[in-house]
Amino acid sequence: MRLREKKKHVHGIPTGSMGDVAFLILLFFLVSTVFTKDKGLKMLLPEKTADEKEVIVVPKNIVTLTINPAGEVKVKTIGYDEYLTIQEYDRIRVIIEERLLERDTLLVVSLRASKEAPYGSMVHVLDQIKLAKVMTADDRELRANKISLIPTSEE
Amino acid sequence: MMRKSIIRRATKAHEIPTASTADIAFLLILFFMVTTVFRPTILRILYQLPDAESTQRILMRRNVSYIWVDKDSKIYIDDHVVNVDMIAGKVGPKIWENPDLITMLNIDQGIAYGVVDGILDQLKDAKAFRITFATEFRR
Repeated sequence: MRLREKKKHVHGIPTGSMGDVAFLILLFFLVSTVFTKDKGLKMLLPEKTADEKEVIVVPKNIVTLTINPAGEVKVKTIGYDEYLTIQEYDRIRVIIEERLLERDTLLVVSLRASKEAPYGSMVHVLDQIKLAKVMTADDRELRANKISLIPTSEE
Repeated sequence: MMRKSIIRRATKAHEIPTASTADIAFLLILFFMVTTVFRPTILRILYQLPDAESTQRILMRRNVSYIWVDKDSKIYIDDHVVNVDMIAGKVGPKIWENPDLITMLNIDQGIAYGVVDGILDQLKDAKAFRITFATEFRR
């Protein structure tokens, strides 16, 4: 009687709920994922030289933008000498585009922000400089790539 | 003849195969595991970034280090409040390790430019020449 064969049990890990587990983990990652959102205006700072040698640029190649503590911008270059209020910042782009067409890659934009000027104004002016772009007759895209940031304490 | 063929086309259960559901799910998991970046920013810093039309995305996230300046001109690096003079000392070693590092400046828009200039000066000392002024897209 006792000699009857024992029933064979198959020992296996149940895989039926594998999909459910996988979806649970999936949900966790779906919910916790934050996609990269770093964004901004790229700049390349100049190297500091030991003797702080001044680079001499011919005046006709320079556009000087001076930001006063109130956020107003004084634009000074050949043919222009005007004050722009915060609402008139769009003019900067137009002026730089005009100068770019004339001076090509030689153009240097000197951004002189007062130490008391709000950082926001400085970024808005920088934005206008970066937006300026023109196409030359020989199909090159010109941008104002030479930007120098100089703080001023005057005004 | 006709009848026979009709009978032969007998019932067949039409079901969507579910055997590979788990595989698909695991594939999706892998995708999200690889792309997930856990939120690294400190939320207690109060700052309002300026907006700019020419804002660009920074794609090389592994190559970025951050500096925050809040509304009260306090400067934060790696969860610590630091003085302006300490920035070069903090950023210098990072540049030594990875010369291509981009320094991301998250600065409140109301801060006086003098503070920003102090930071830029320190970054030049630390040879961190590649910087980005963090901005929001302007609509």
